[in-house]
Amino acid sequence: MTTATVSRWDRFRASFFWYSFKRDKLAIASFLVLLAMVLAAVLAPLLAPADPYDLAQIDILNSELPPAGFAGADPAFPLGTDAQGRDLLSTILYGTRVSLMIGFGAVVLQAALGILFGLLAGYLGGKVDAILMRIADVQLSFSTLMVAIIVGAVFKASFGNLMFGEIAIYMLIFIIGVAEWPQIARTVRASVLAEKKKEYVDAAKVMGFGTPRIMFRHILPNTLSPIFVIATVQIANAIISEAALSFLGLGMPETQPSLGSLIKSGFDYIQSGSWWITLIPGLVLVVLVLVINLLGDWLRDVMNPRLYKG
Amino acid sequence: MLAFLVQRISQALLVMFVISVIAFAIQDGLGDPLQEMVGMSVSMEERQVIREELGLNDPFLVQYLRFAGRALQGDLGNSYFYSKPALQVIGEHLPATLELVIGASLIIVFLSVPIGVYAAIRPGAWLSRFFMGVSTVGISIPVFLTAIVLIQLFSIGVTINWFPPETGWGQWLNESLSTHGGMPSYGRGDDLVHLFGTWESGFFTRQGLAHLVLPCVSLASIMLPLFIRLIRAEMMEVLQSDYIRYARAKGLNPGRINFLHALKNTMLPVITVGGVQIGIMVAYTILTETVFQWPGVGLMFLEAITRSDIPLIVAYLMVVGLIFVITNTLVDLIYGLVNPTVKLTGKKT
Amino acid sequence: MPLLQVKGLDVRFALRGGDLKALRGISFSLDKGERLGLVGESGAGKSVAAFSILNLIARPGYIAGGQILFDGQDLAAMNERELRQIRGNRIAMIFQDPMMTLNPVLTIGTQMTEAIRAHRKISRREARAIALDRLTKVQIPSPARRLEQYPHELSGGMRQRVIIAIALLLDPEIIIADEPTTALDVTIQAEIMALLLNLCEQENVALMLITHDLGVVSQVTQRMLVMYSGRIIEQGPTREIINDAQHPYTQGLINALPQMGEPGARLFQIPGSMPSLNNVPSGCPFHPRCSFATDQCKRTMPEYVRSGNVDVACYEVANLIEQEKRMQEAGS
Repeated sequence: MTTATVSRWDRFRASFFWYSFKRDKLAIASFLVLLAMVLAAVLAPLLAPADPYDLAQIDILNSELPPAGFAGADPAFPLGTDAQGRDLLSTILYGTRVSLMIGFGAVVLQAALGILFGLLAGYLGGKVDAILMRIADVQLSFSTLMVAIIVGAVFKASFGNLMFGEIAIYMLIFIIGVAEWPQIARTVRASVLAEKKKEYVDAAKVMGFGTPRIMFRHILPNTLSPIFVIATVQIANAIISEAALSFLGLGMPETQPSLGSLIKSGFDYIQSGSWWITLIPGLVLVVLVLVINLLGDWLRDVMNPRLYKG
Repeated sequence: MLAFLVQRISQALLVMFVISVIAFAIQDGLGDPLQEMVGMSVSMEERQVIREELGLNDPFLVQYLRFAGRALQGDLGNSYFYSKPALQVIGEHLPATLELVIGASLIIVFLSVPIGVYAAIRPGAWLSRFFMGVSTVGISIPVFLTAIVLIQLFSIGVTINWFPPETGWGQWLNESLSTHGGMPSYGRGDDLVHLFGTWESGFFTRQGLAHLVLPCVSLASIMLPLFIRLIRAEMMEVLQSDYIRYARAKGLNPGRINFLHALKNTMLPVITVGGVQIGIMVAYTILTETVFQWPGVGLMFLEAITRSDIPLIVAYLMVVGLIFVITNTLVDLIYGLVNPTVKLTGKKT
Repeated sequence: MPLLQVKGLDVRFALRGGDLKALRGISFSLDKGERLGLVGESGAGKSVAAFSILNLIARPGYIAGGQILFDGQDLAAMNERELRQIRGNRIAMIFQDPMMTLNPVLTIGTQMTEAIRAHRKISRREARAIALDRLTKVQIPSPARRLEQYPHELSGGMRQRVIIAIALLLDPEIIIADEPTTALDVTIQAEIMALLLNLCEQENVALMLITHDLGVVSQVTQRMLVMYSGRIIEQGPTREIINDAQHPYTQGLINALPQMGEPGARLFQIPGSMPSLNNVPSGCPFHPRCSFATDQCKRTMPEYVRSGNVDVACYEVANLIEQEKRMQEAGS
């Protein structure tokens, strides 16, 4: 008798996860929009009609042209141009790219920190737990955005404008990652505390496994599912945080702007009637964050332990 | 009750201590008092001598204690830019921010409770769904963007010309969809009423209020969806509980059940979460003040960063830290007073 | 003329996949001052039956059909406003867990006086006097102090006494008690049950007692009905049913009670378990677990037959009665 081998793809297709996804039209729509935006951002160099940071290609005479459909538009610039004559479609594509990179990067960092500290606090308990959670509480009560602003301010003051600008993207990932770890750490810690009481932990201890091994290879996998939900929402938060920091001037510089910095530089021209320079990047930012939030909501409903059966 | 107070206050003091250490570390690391006091022509040796005299080469702990001592007397150094005591600069800017926060809080409280309760009692109504939908979108819009959109709509105005003016109804639609703008979007205006000390209020004059509208609405806009969702979720859960069913079994009228039995229980966790949101509110005031050039401490802080005005930055952090600590303690206190299960033991039963 | 008459009550749960039947046309009655027990396993529908009298079933449950006649009016057909006048006033309820039943942020006094003032136009002071009187009746020490206290400051037994006091505030005609002692300490259960029994006797209040405890039923109630899978399968005088249960399920329940017999003897268990609401067998719902099941049992639900003063829904019982009748006729 032969047994058919079930591939991973087949198992995925049969799972509750996929079934629930197919049924939820909003989730599908959100995912498609997100996919489109991510692809557009990743392929920005190929898709953008012009390289907005190539000074040779910009002509100041093209400045402040409105998007297609409005009086005075130029078909070469479908979304209009900014005050320097840069094509807005291109700047937005590159800007989305930067925003997404920082968003993902920051979440990876905060997840790594959060998981590490959550495991340590939950498993080791005692003084380690008390200190870590006290720091987390203070960070959370100040609000992570405030912490990010403060850390950003300090870094900008110590590194100086120029250097900060050059490594801004890494700075921002670091700043937001460090500001936001408490959320994940708390969740992991709660899971660890629950798991610690279970029998497989005792069994592992009896078998003589060391603490790090028990923490990472035994307990950690069981604490991961709520993290996925939080991580998704945190990507949206990170993008907004970065946009806020950039808007305040503590983020990406004009030479390598994110959506936030685009909104900032466009704001100066709103009074003169060139609303598109600030509002179109704004719209893109909102749509991006919205679809990530919607997917996060859907993911939370799916991962609800009462319904989800592996 | 006393034990509760003592515990909370000692926690508050501990947090203040940590904040002061961090603030001092920043000042020590970045600030250079010499820069303010002496010019470029002073030589290195002379600088060293001055540093000795000022005690700037003493160990960290000694310098910190000096800093803390001065801070407790209200001396946080002089702002480089304003050449005035930092605390005084903050005092001049603080009322503006406070008015902004008060205005936004009023909007939040008076809107979120009715909407949240309604959405909980009638979750299927289209109005409820509409509000929840708007809330989800609202959470995705950063506060500064809301501010910009509001400025575009109500300050600059939007003229719609989609419909050809020849058709009668086209013109009407154009008119009704356009906005005329005109709301002030810069600063607080000139018509302020002096209350006391450095407090110039905008609440008492028409122009002052007009200037308050857009900024307060912007600030409220980001917290409103959060509170609506929170109140709705809490209330829906409370409405499922046994004691609500029992209240119905006693024959009480629905108004009393919803607004006394249910609401009182709902507001308890909302108070707790509300307290946490204060931290976020402060961060958002920085953003809002930047957009509207509102002369509050948020804008002051941002300008201080751009100018590397270290004493002002440090003073801001200390003051904001103090405000946090006081507000959080107050919120805990209020919660303890309102929630009867906390009163006697000082801990949650 | 019975005080309360339930006829063919049909209660369902409206779910996305279709409706689930929780109560399938149950009928019973309650006389003035009578004490009736509703017995059955978890999920049999006894709590649903209790809550449906005052139409307090949690959503998505709803009354799909039948009548609930109280003093000439059909409670099942009343709207919320009309029902509100009866709830707490003429028909009072006692829930299972007093800690969950009392609102934790309101004082005992508030929760008592509001119940009175919802139905009578009297002053707060007068309402307070009535509350104090009832608290004394349920034998709570220092009743005046209790009025200012919050639920979490009282013990479990005291809380349930308060609930009983609240039930008696407006001199109701019926008290519906849903497992009133299950959530209490074993040592207090007997006390509270005795209190409830005495008060009902004294005030001549009819009692509908929902419980899974046959011991309590046999001590407190005058009549009882046994529920299985949304149906009443046996009802009649408590004494008769306890002493000589007819329906195989009831017999199983009684046999399952631990007897003071030989140590080490095995406890009797009815094999299998009660079917869930979406998996009800055809015909008599008990047939998969019944040793007497026949093809007829699998096809249609048996009608009630009378054995002594007891109504039983069982073909086997019907057959036995037939046989006895024939034997008697043959013998005479």
